Amino acid sequence: MATLSIKGVRKSFGSVEVLKNIDIDLEDGGFLVLLGPSGCGKSTLLSIIAGLESSSGGDIVIGERNVNDVHPKDRNIAMVFQSYALYPTMSVRRNIGFGLEMRKVDPQTRESEVNKAAEMLQIEHLLDRKPGQLSGGQRQRVAMGRAIVRDPDLFLFDEPLSNLDAKLRVEMRTEIKRLHDRLGTTVVYVTHDQIEAMTLGTRVAVMKGGVIQQLAEPQTIYEKPANMFVAGFIGSPTMNFLAGRLERADGGLVLSHGDAALPLTELTQDAGAYVGKQVVAGIRPETLHPGSGGSTLTGTVDVVEPTGPDTMVILNVGGQMLTARVGSRDRPKLGEAMTLSVDTAAINLFDPDSGDRI
Amino acid sequence: MSRAAYPPPRTIWDGINPIRMIGELSETRYWMYLLLLPSAMLITAVVLYPTVYGMQMSFREMRLNRPDLGTDWVLFKHYARMLADPIFWTSLRNTAVWVTSSIALEFLIGLIAALALNRNLPGTKLLAVLILLPYFLPNVVAGHMWALMLDPRMGVINDLLVKTGLLVGYKAWFADPATAMAAAIIVETWHSFPFFTLLIMAGLKGIPADLYKAADIDGAGALAQLRLITLPMLKTIIAAAVILRVIGLVNSPDLLLILTSGGPGRSTQVLSLYAFQMAYKDFNFGYAGALSVVMFVLLMLFAWAYIRLSKVNQD
Repeated sequence: MATLSIKGVRKSFGSVEVLKNIDIDLEDGGFLVLLGPSGCGKSTLLSIIAGLESSSGGDIVIGERNVNDVHPKDRNIAMVFQSYALYPTMSVRRNIGFGLEMRKVDPQTRESEVNKAAEMLQIEHLLDRKPGQLSGGQRQRVAMGRAIVRDPDLFLFDEPLSNLDAKLRVEMRTEIKRLHDRLGTTVVYVTHDQIEAMTLGTRVAVMKGGVIQQLAEPQTIYEKPANMFVAGFIGSPTMNFLAGRLERADGGLVLSHGDAALPLTELTQDAGAYVGKQVVAGIRPETLHPGSGGSTLTGTVDVVEPTGPDTMVILNVGGQMLTARVGSRDRPKLGEAMTLSVDTAAINLFDPDSGDRI
Repeated sequence: MSRAAYPPPRTIWDGINPIRMIGELSETRYWMYLLLLPSAMLITAVVLYPTVYGMQMSFREMRLNRPDLGTDWVLFKHYARMLADPIFWTSLRNTAVWVTSSIALEFLIGLIAALALNRNLPGTKLLAVLILLPYFLPNVVAGHMWALMLDPRMGVINDLLVKTGLLVGYKAWFADPATAMAAAIIVETWHSFPFFTLLIMAGLKGIPADLYKAADIDGAGALAQLRLITLPMLKTIIAAAVILRVIGLVNSPDLLLILTSGGPGRSTQVLSLYAFQMAYKDFNFGYAGALSVVMFVLLMLFAWAYIRLSKVNQD
């Protein structure tokens, strides 16, 4: 186990800068999720941490050691790849023990360590098979076995669940969380799946265009997104953005949008400086409830999407489309007017020009 | 009053519709055999018949320059003669040396070239084409070219070796029993190593890069990666390439025919060359047939044993 410090890391491919001055500090035993869309630089950053790719500047410090010039094998890390990268010609047993074999660990110790890892992952019965004879989930377990057997300072996961079907993905996600709780090893985990980020991470770094947009605990990222990109990227359905002018009325703030006004009675942000200016209100779909108490929004029902436990209602509010997550029994008719009560304490205001949270 | 229009009289041909018959036949299990028939006939005509004819020839007396002996069946006479024929044993030994040395060198150089070209450095595409050039040359052309280059009087290689001080005087490489086989093997290696390069390169493209990244992290060095990842993953391709090259080398006498004709003495006499000379110099087709059958059986045994030993079928 060890801490991880990423200090001012940059990476350029020719004239294209894919990582711009990345700074992250991760505590010992922490679980850092690098989250972002394709091409945001998250996998490149992971490769730089692993030593598989060199950086164009900055430092990687694992524990107390600067590992910039250290070969991947000497960084005491283990990595699980998206493709699993199991050696196809070797048995599962040899795959798991390969790192120990290369480090000249004696066969008895190797055997016992492999058995221990296999037992932990419940793959003892697969040890003599070849990777080609395993299912996706089993391969995933073997890849994890190969990582944990070495007892590394740092686990690196590169989108490990992307190749699994939806059900197995949920199972393996739980498995990874359980493993982390049990081993307590520091983890860096790359994904584009926000659910994985929210459920697994102790810290989440949302990336875009080689820049960290926000680095915080998952709940903070969800509740107080640093900008509109983060707000829109996290959450499903995504956060609603309601544009309007911030005004002062009856001693409080209101958001004037079209002909209507939304009183922001319980707003937690200090938005006094924006009075009289255009802002964007970020409203999570689950903070909109059918009813007319408190601050309300009224719109025309455009689409109704029942999902089982909930119903997604897409409303046209003065020309702006908003999604509300309502109960499964609340199914309004298309075209009818619907009034929603808004939990204004959960509203985030953004500057429409910079996209940043006010 | 018009006459009633009667239908034409029914004949036996009314029930026969060729298109419908083919359609019905295509639903039966005989259809498969029918489709295979043209290729089966072609293979029988150009492969099976000559092979069987060659085999039966080995059991007959068939000497074009001794018509007095006739063409009677002699059963195993040629095979018995072979056992007591010192040239046969020399040829067999030379064949083993010729094939194993050539293939070992071709594989080694082919592998190194493929690994180098697979690094995708600038210029490797052009280099890949240049490296493959020798393989595009026909054996006869390559043979004559090297015979000229190694010529004892005007060969450029002798000239270079003398000028660089590596050789005292010009050497007749193919006239010395000590160097003829080695020189021929070098020519053969130069000519055919691109075959291995080509196949191994194709195989290397199929190995996922993630395996090498994982191996890097696991602590496997370049040699360990080659031994434990690259070569095992190329096993099937290497096995196929070796079998094809062995068949080619055992069966084709052309390069040696041009370079040495089996000489000096019998120092480069191989089985294919011996069979060829037996047939087209001595006109003894019966004995040449027997030599060919022995080569055929040896190749079959080799291919079977090699596939079993390399465990290609297990993956």
